[in-house]
Amino acid sequence: MSQTIETQATVRPSHSMADFHKLLVTTLPRLRVQALALTRNRADADDLVQAAVTSALAAKDSFAPGTNFGAWMFRILRNRFISDVRRKRETTDIDDVPSSAFARPGAQEDSLVMRELRGHLSRLPAEQRTALVMVTVQGMSYEEVAAAMDCAVGTAKCRVFRARQTLQRWLTGEERGVEAPKVAASSRKSASSPRARRRHTAESEAGMGHATPV
Amino acid sequence: MGNGRGQAAPETAFDLWLQRGLHQMFDDVMREPIPEELLRLIEQDRSQG
Repeated sequence: MSQTIETQATVRPSHSMADFHKLLVTTLPRLRVQALALTRNRADADDLVQAAVTSALAAKDSFAPGTNFGAWMFRILRNRFISDVRRKRETTDIDDVPSSAFARPGAQEDSLVMRELRGHLSRLPAEQRTALVMVTVQGMSYEEVAAAMDCAVGTAKCRVFRARQTLQRWLTGEERGVEAPKVAASSRKSASSPRARRRHTAESEAGMGHATPV
Repeated sequence: MGNGRGQAAPETAFDLWLQRGLHQMFDDVMREPIPEELLRLIEQDRSQG
């Protein structure tokens, strides 16, 4: 099994506007993974990437050549996601985690433990889930995650730690042996019941929107 | 939580298991072809620009 998948967009070479479309195409595989991490659903992820690409093309003059294109693209993706979550909250109950969360169309049935992992992953707050995927699947450093998520490096580390900690507790019933008092306290509070966890997830997703939607 | 280069290396057996599980869930998406519609959208914009 591969351990780390990196694309050219992971590195940050200086480039001109002429490279914009090339960079966009290069970034797409990574962006699709990030969209799936955010939406938990393949169809929604495809729609989100398409919307983000449309926004990026419309706003390409606002991209500063030589800066981190992957981070710029992720911020657009995230802002579109936040807008979609807000819009959906007006018409649907996003408190419910879809049973098809992270399901692969046409894929063979997962093992029981993989099904459990998919279910629990989908209940994490979107920002923790996405930070975890960026680090664990895409091999991004905490600095790169922080740049993409527009947060401090310490916050990025904390999100990944909390995600691992919560998944470990839900899956094994074991607490991690690493000190993180604030993390443990807030996670315990939010995980008091499955219903409370789902509510917390929805609130967290809606609460992601400190950035202005593109 | 990571090494000196800011890489978030897994530390425990659970982390390693989680890493394998997440790769299993997401690697297919990373590898599958980009939808033609998306590539057309980008190409269209490039040729207009």
